[in-house]
Amino acid sequence: MSSINVRIAGANGDGVESSGTLLLKVAANDGLQVFGYRGYQSIIRGGHVWFQVRVGDGAERLLSHGEGIDVLVALNQDAIKNQRSHLNAGASIIYDPTKINVQEIDPATYKLLPIPLLDIAVKESGDPIMRNTVAIGAVIKLIGINMSVFEDVIKRMFGRKGDAVVKSNVSVASKGYSHEGISTVYSLKSDGKARYTMDGNTALAIGAYASDCKFYSAYPMTPASGILHWFAAHDNKGVLFKQTEDEIAAINMAIGASFSGVRAMTGSSGGGFSLMVEALGFAGMIETPLVVVEVQRTGPSTGLPTKTEQADLLFVMHASQGEYPRIVVAPRDIDECFTVAVQAFNLADKYQCPVIIISDLFLAEHFESVDGFDIDSVRIDRGKMVMSVPEGTRFKRYEYSDDGVSPRAIPGTKGTEFIAGSDEHDEYGDLVSDAFSGIDEYVDIRVKMHDKRMRKMDVMLKNENLFVPSIENPNAKQFLVTWGSTTMAAREAVKILNSKGLDFGVISFSYLLPLDKQKTSELLKGKKLIDVECNYTAQLAQVIMMNTGIDIKDRILKYDGEAITGHEIAAKAEQLLKR
Amino acid sequence: MGETIPQTNAAAPKAKQVYTSKNKPIWCPGCGDFGVFASINKAMQELGIEKQNVAIVSGIGCSSAMPHTFSTYGVHSLHGRLLPVATGLKLANHGLTVIGTGGDGDGYGIGGGHLVHSARRNIDITYIIMDNETYGLTTGQTSPTALMGHKTKSTPFGVIEMPINPIALAISAGATYVARGFSGDPVQLAQLIKGGIEHRGFALIDVFSPCVTFNKDNTFEWFRQRVYKLESQGHDPSNLDMAMQRAFEDVKTQYEKIPVGLFYKVERPTYGDLEISLKDGPLVKQAAHTKEQVQSLIEENR
Repeated sequence: MSSINVRIAGANGDGVESSGTLLLKVAANDGLQVFGYRGYQSIIRGGHVWFQVRVGDGAERLLSHGEGIDVLVALNQDAIKNQRSHLNAGASIIYDPTKINVQEIDPATYKLLPIPLLDIAVKESGDPIMRNTVAIGAVIKLIGINMSVFEDVIKRMFGRKGDAVVKSNVSVASKGYSHEGISTVYSLKSDGKARYTMDGNTALAIGAYASDCKFYSAYPMTPASGILHWFAAHDNKGVLFKQTEDEIAAINMAIGASFSGVRAMTGSSGGGFSLMVEALGFAGMIETPLVVVEVQRTGPSTGLPTKTEQADLLFVMHASQGEYPRIVVAPRDIDECFTVAVQAFNLADKYQCPVIIISDLFLAEHFESVDGFDIDSVRIDRGKMVMSVPEGTRFKRYEYSDDGVSPRAIPGTKGTEFIAGSDEHDEYGDLVSDAFSGIDEYVDIRVKMHDKRMRKMDVMLKNENLFVPSIENPNAKQFLVTWGSTTMAAREAVKILNSKGLDFGVISFSYLLPLDKQKTSELLKGKKLIDVECNYTAQLAQVIMMNTGIDIKDRILKYDGEAITGHEIAAKAEQLLKR
Repeated sequence: MGETIPQTNAAAPKAKQVYTSKNKPIWCPGCGDFGVFASINKAMQELGIEKQNVAIVSGIGCSSAMPHTFSTYGVHSLHGRLLPVATGLKLANHGLTVIGTGGDGDGYGIGGGHLVHSARRNIDITYIIMDNETYGLTTGQTSPTALMGHKTKSTPFGVIEMPINPIALAISAGATYVARGFSGDPVQLAQLIKGGIEHRGFALIDVFSPCVTFNKDNTFEWFRQRVYKLESQGHDPSNLDMAMQRAFEDVKTQYEKIPVGLFYKVERPTYGDLEISLKDGPLVKQAAHTKEQVQSLIEENR
């Protein structure tokens, strides 16, 4: 067995999330690969929550939280009821026999591992919530991790709280670890490399920070709040976080901060992004760099706030009235959350336009073991910044130029004063709207200025080698075509399909606007393609159709709010082949 | 537009500066906003601020064309959004003098939410609202400060909502400098604006700036007959209770007596004073994040 799936299930307030995080960290520090995902609701206490931790051999990156459950930690009766249908054959169930009835579980099919979790927790620490830690102790024994790794992680996590807290955690976990009937049954191969554990929101925030983002303004909204929490926690590290009264204020503040010359970002989910829409075009019009993160959840309206979907692609690509240059990019995995954030700020500065990073709940909130990021290769390009103009001349902030990009100056610089106008304006920023629109000279200015702005799209297509999909297994007979976070599951599906002798590859999109029509067309042309995405209307397929005329008729679409997995895609792809 | 500006302030920063631009204001002849323009200019002259350190931010509306009449930095932003834009601008570079200029529809209507929050966070911005009790640029609809019964294109049978009380609203929301001026008295107005700029914190200056085209009720003459100066009545702007009483005087007198001047002023730390990330100076001047800093943030995820 190269990986196993551990699911901790209970109610909100049971500490499901903290125990899941702890297990992730312990396994990642032991040189194993981890992939974590949680199911939760929008309530603070009660409900049914679960945290799945897939642990795998150190040598191979995991691409999903896996199919089914191999080890269930049942923290309440609901956990048995709700999770039993997900149990894989032979699964182990850790439960507290003083609290939970397992009569309905067939002991011949599953391995029952009763541990008096609560009694041990209370006896050892006096704190009933520590029963999770007893269970985690048992789990790490099942997967063969040494107690010393656990101790190291606990020291890092709770060291600041003092020795007593560390000791208490370790002694409680040891009781589970050495409990009667608990032995190592899953042997996973460590590669000896301790890794970081983080979710997509964190990787994206760190990428923004690495790119010298100094301002983040946002209003809380799941599942984008992780980015907000990260910036709030690091407000003393040379970055200003501002929680605003609404998302309209959030984006306009970021625009104001960017106008002043700092790299600025805002973020939300689809609902909050909807409120930002007018200001997106404003940033485009005044050519002020801006990075906006849109972390999708299941919609429309309030939708399913704690579930995932990819149904906002066409919306973000077309949001705001009129035409203006913009870039839309969807990171495909956690590593790309970092690199895309770095690229986004450089692109925003170079082309003085909004860059929208479109993520989703699954990408944003799932955890992975991460080797680290290539911070040495981070380069900061602020684009055409000027500090002065020749004496006696007036600064043309919106000067017509071959590449569409005009020189940019920031307040405080002497001689380059200008007014940025949300109205249509001339090269100086003076209005052509209220008093002059329709007069011949100004009609001409409108056309020239619009051409100048829009030209940036052609120039970036020519200059940046980003706006094409990538292809994996290029000689395959057929391809799964996908975008954003679904790429991970598609890659896993390809492995499964290939292992069955079905020759598949993946074509995946991160940058979606602009798109190099010719190269995209060449890549897709003549291939057998299956479109895979998490929405109803096959939005990527529509984008492909729009850009290349290629109509991908075979589609695997999912919109139940759950993250798509490789097994699911592989099974559906097989069905499509049989048809 | 398109002309080369004369060299005015190249040499000595303390020399008299030209803050105005050559753009012609879009306002109707006789518009109250001309007086506000003159007063802002006078206030800046008296303060001698270097114009590269001034940012004038507006929303949308007749009065929001204000930044274009100046040769400082500025943003003519979206309708109702001048405060968040100005706030971001100020937070990123608190060395700048940030002045907001907009109308009553922009500030009390569509942007009303931002006003309350900007006031309570005491962001160091001077916000001048040119209040003409009407929507001029959209050709005369009712506004949040229109008086009950006032007839407009959108209220042909008369306004049936209470007007906003900007002074009481700003004071109760936490603004630390709250004043009202009248475009017909640019001398007093310039002093109020100057005081607002000098004040550290959120300054709201509501200015009666009559619309000569669409508001035939609240004219220059109408205001002239009703306004009186607070200082002439021995008003103490440090007294919160007294300020609130004066704030409702217009309502209580059926708008027969309308006080103008400085209602309320209090010293309170600004948002910037308390914001931890600004303790090392203006954000825009802070050093770029280092590789070591980035690595230490990655390490947190060990």
